[in-house]
Amino acid sequence: MKNKIKVFRAMHDMTQEDLAQAIGVTRQTILAIEKGKYVPSLDLAFRIARHFRVNIEEVFMYDD
Amino acid sequence: MKKNTFYLMCGCIALILLAIFWYSVEIHNPLFIEIAFLIGITIAYFARKRVTDLVEDERSAKINEQAVLRTFQVFWVVFCAFSIGAVMQILYIPQGPRVFFPQPPLALLSPRMMGYFQLALLCLMIFLYVGFRIYYARKYGDWETDEE
Repeated sequence: MKNKIKVFRAMHDMTQEDLAQAIGVTRQTILAIEKGKYVPSLDLAFRIARHFRVNIEEVFMYDD
Repeated sequence: MKKNTFYLMCGCIALILLAIFWYSVEIHNPLFIEIAFLIGITIAYFARKRVTDLVEDERSAKINEQAVLRTFQVFWVVFCAFSIGAVMQILYIPQGPRVFFPQPPLALLSPRMMGYFQLALLCLMIFLYVGFRIYYARKYGDWETDEE
């Protein structure tokens, strides 16, 4: 699962810590998701997408 | 309560329990340390619930879940192997006169030895959990570093 969290963070001028606090997870979790070490649950993926006010498909891409 | 305060508190509880354990051995009263241990764990449990700066999210929950599951999977095999051995000793029936086939030494199954075995198994469980916890924390990016 690929994602564009880093891009959206840059667009919104947010640090990992800011995003983590906004959606109620640790900074390590954001870092792990960005690096592809951890695949978030559907609930967390939706929360991230909603925070950036975009559709989930724009943030997360399923990798075949 | 801050996270570090909680860790300090746990250290203090452990030291107090060690002192009580020593005292319990001195006065030869196991009930003393047993009750103290239960009280110590209860205090640590309620103190843990009061920690405010310890964020637990789904990733840390998954790491814990995986570590506990793997620990259980390995531990039950070891525990079962140990238990089968103990049952074999209990069910041992000599084939023939007892003179030629004496009973196995019962010292191995004495309550004291069982206590040591249980302690060893408990230590094994803790080591297994810590090992698996480190493994899954690494797998799910706990020690990843970033440019930020």
